[in-house]
Amino acid sequence: MLQYHYALAMVVQLFPTCLVNEIRPDAGMAVVRVLERVGCEVALPEGLTCCGQPAYNAGFHDEARRVARHTLAVLGATDGAIVVPSGSCCDMLVHQTVELFRDEPAAAEAAQRVASRCREFSQFVAERGGVPGGSLPSRVAYHPSCHLQRGLRVQREPLQLIGGVAGAESVPFDEQHECCGFGGLFSIKNAEISAAMMDRKLTAIEASGANRLVSCDLGCLLHLEGGLRRRGAAIAVQHLAEFLDEAAT
Amino acid sequence: MSDARAVILDRIERALRTARIPAVGDAGARAFQASDQRDAGARAFQASGVPLADRFVLEARALGVEVFVESTPEAARDRLRTLVAGLRVLSWNRDRLPYDCGAVVGEALPGSAPREEQAHADVGVTACHGAIAETGSLALISGPGCSRTVSLLPPWHIAVVRHEDLLATMGDFFLSRHDAMARAANCTFVTGPSRTADIELSLTVGVHGPGKVTVVLGP
Amino acid sequence: MSSDASGGFAQRAHDALGNRQLHIALDRTTAQLGMRRSTAVASLDNFDGVRDQARAAKMQVLRTLGDSLRRFEEQLIANGAHVHWADTGADANRIIVEIATRTGVRRVAKSKSMVSEETHLNGALEKAGIAVIETDLGEYIVQLANDRPSHIIAPIVHMTREQVGRVMHDRLAVPYSDDTQTLARYARERLREEFLQADMGLSGANFGVVENGTICLVTNEGNGRMVTTLPRVHVALMGIEKLVPTMADLDRFLKLLARSATGQKLTVYTTLIRGPRRAGDECGPEELHVVLLDNGRTNMLAGETAEILGCIRCGACLNACPVYRSVGGHAYGDVYPGPVGAIVTPGLRGLDRFAELPGASSLCGACRDVCPVRLDIPRMLLALRHQAVERTPQPFALRAGLKMFARVATRPRLYRAATALVRRALRARARNGWIAKAPGMASGWTAFRDLRAPAARTFEQQWRERQASRHRG
Repeated sequence: MLQYHYALAMVVQLFPTCLVNEIRPDAGMAVVRVLERVGCEVALPEGLTCCGQPAYNAGFHDEARRVARHTLAVLGATDGAIVVPSGSCCDMLVHQTVELFRDEPAAAEAAQRVASRCREFSQFVAERGGVPGGSLPSRVAYHPSCHLQRGLRVQREPLQLIGGVAGAESVPFDEQHECCGFGGLFSIKNAEISAAMMDRKLTAIEASGANRLVSCDLGCLLHLEGGLRRRGAAIAVQHLAEFLDEAAT
Repeated sequence: MSDARAVILDRIERALRTARIPAVGDAGARAFQASDQRDAGARAFQASGVPLADRFVLEARALGVEVFVESTPEAARDRLRTLVAGLRVLSWNRDRLPYDCGAVVGEALPGSAPREEQAHADVGVTACHGAIAETGSLALISGPGCSRTVSLLPPWHIAVVRHEDLLATMGDFFLSRHDAMARAANCTFVTGPSRTADIELSLTVGVHGPGKVTVVLGP
Repeated sequence: MSSDASGGFAQRAHDALGNRQLHIALDRTTAQLGMRRSTAVASLDNFDGVRDQARAAKMQVLRTLGDSLRRFEEQLIANGAHVHWADTGADANRIIVEIATRTGVRRVAKSKSMVSEETHLNGALEKAGIAVIETDLGEYIVQLANDRPSHIIAPIVHMTREQVGRVMHDRLAVPYSDDTQTLARYARERLREEFLQADMGLSGANFGVVENGTICLVTNEGNGRMVTTLPRVHVALMGIEKLVPTMADLDRFLKLLARSATGQKLTVYTTLIRGPRRAGDECGPEELHVVLLDNGRTNMLAGETAEILGCIRCGACLNACPVYRSVGGHAYGDVYPGPVGAIVTPGLRGLDRFAELPGASSLCGACRDVCPVRLDIPRMLLALRHQAVERTPQPFALRAGLKMFARVATRPRLYRAATALVRRALRARARNGWIAKAPGMASGWTAFRDLRAPAARTFEQQWRERQASRHRG
């Protein structure tokens, strides 16, 4: 049973992530509204660009460090919790950035300080006790993104939040925990394999009878939504924040 | 080649200077240092109070092993006699079998018989050096009179097991039979009849080792 | 039939994705293996605790590898075994051929050994006029079909039973059947003679116990027992990393291995070999030879992927990997497929030939989750990608693109301007907010998916407006 109690309005820093910023800003606005609904005041650090994960995953560590240094500087100039509406970006900030700066003690320390402040969106909202009074009859297929469930070990929170919405039914589907095939640049460099993985995931989701697909990672959502459109499927695709925002309105 | 030995050992020493070997976390390190052999599983097993024999029978039957539980030595002997009646028997030496089962297999081929003859036996009869309750396994230590071929060549393997052979876990066996294992060339744990799932993962029982395993569990 | 390795992963993966038979075979098997593992894991108290212990033991072995090997060798010799050290695969083959020649061996019966695939041992023996036969059912069929294994534990997971039936019918002149019981019976009948006639048995080793020189083999079929009991010479070929410190450690690894590999608590036969036959034994080899092989393992030990030497070859990572599930084992182009193969193959054969492998992963981490030794496979894949960038040629567009990205992403105003341009360019190609054909490098995306057009205004812009109107109002 989620408890709704907000002692004080807490200021949180929002790290929107580049995909939210450039491609689906509506998800970002929904994040802001949900955070305000759980008693937070949202601040946006000035000058954020990217966490550096694309370069890191591609093996370009020097470039990744350059970008990460900038991000750490911007975030380091702020205080308090940093909410990240993306499992993969959050995992990058929490685990990978420290690893990137393994050979630079000062930068690694700065990275560790930022890491300890970061919370993935659903993790944070669940810690705050969930969103009060939402209602949205729907059959929801929840896709747990890999960095979220395995990197950050955030596994129950998204389902708890969906369960807190009156009328929303979480619909399980085959091989629900398997990777959707996005994997960042993997989706382009290994496009065929990415598409094969996507097909398996979408077939399972369509077979489940869900009318909504919800996830905490925009990368996965863009990939799966693009595939659903190709198939002509009528399943609505939303970031968890958009779902919760719609339910509360 | 001693050259290769020196080269490899030298390379290892140099490699270790730059090797990225993750430090094992505290819990792991402590767990590793603990040289008391009984792990949580074995302790839990003991604490459960389930008699070893019951657990062994349960596990063995789940593997497809046929188990006869006999309450007297005579009954165990009779059971064996019935099972091997009319068959060509290959057997461990008489003095290695409990409950005077040696008398029952009196005319059996011994493990020292020519291999071609052994290969045509219908059934192999052994005792065991341990019966592991947790997994339903039979421990067989090789030695004079305890030929490995007996439990390997014939299509059917019968093991006569005593209550006192029963142990909770393989770890317990390693501890308590340490010396016997050290003297022997081979110790094999048999956990059910031979099988393969190589073709489409569908189970086929009876490949190269015996396709049928029977245990006569005496008092 | 897998093709030559260099630079061919993309092509082999493409071929695999179009192979209907492979799909059927993989679908029939990989999900099952995962389920069986889950059930078996639940049957062990404190599975994660045992994994932690196993990891600690393996990391300890690696840290003390030189001393561990010396001690292991001492124990083996005290037990009456001969110990040989092989720097390369070719050395190992030469040593084994010499042993065979010296002892007058004409026929070798092999139980499963991935290391012998690494060294191409069979070819070397045959060249020396020595007959060699695989006795593991899957490997036997691979040998008959002149194919290569595609999975560490289940070598013919890429073949349907119909295909197996056809191979046996063609090569053994037996009636065609697709019934697995019948096919196994054919193999049993053929191989029985081989076991009885072979002069040398060749095996791998799942574990070598440092404290007493025990060699442990786990098998299901019984061929492992056959080849290490009946022939007069037994040769065990093992990688230098396959050590565990003590019998207590062996016990823990045995709890993990079969559960992780096939979902069994234990394989049918767990064979612990302590030496050649003892005085008074009625059977058992007269000579036991252990060949310790490096073949590139010390190279891996020297760097970021040292940890992979803790692998116990259970195959759980293959079964969990969605990429392996999609393309099967041959796509990886060498002996070890799947996540472990993506690290070991560049390590053993060179990154320049196999630079594609570490990249062929979405880094989902399912492998790390199921690994009984908790090996951090994603970390090692990332490390290899970094090495690939430093040492091998990269596509110009990618290198240039990421360098530019780094320059731009450190300058917020420039970043905003640059992304505005990209957004505008993409929106120009969009209809109803969607792009059906993306340009350049991104065309791989739209080959299979629609691409959502970027927004007209970024989140940052919308946020600023919202803040401004709130302060006004």
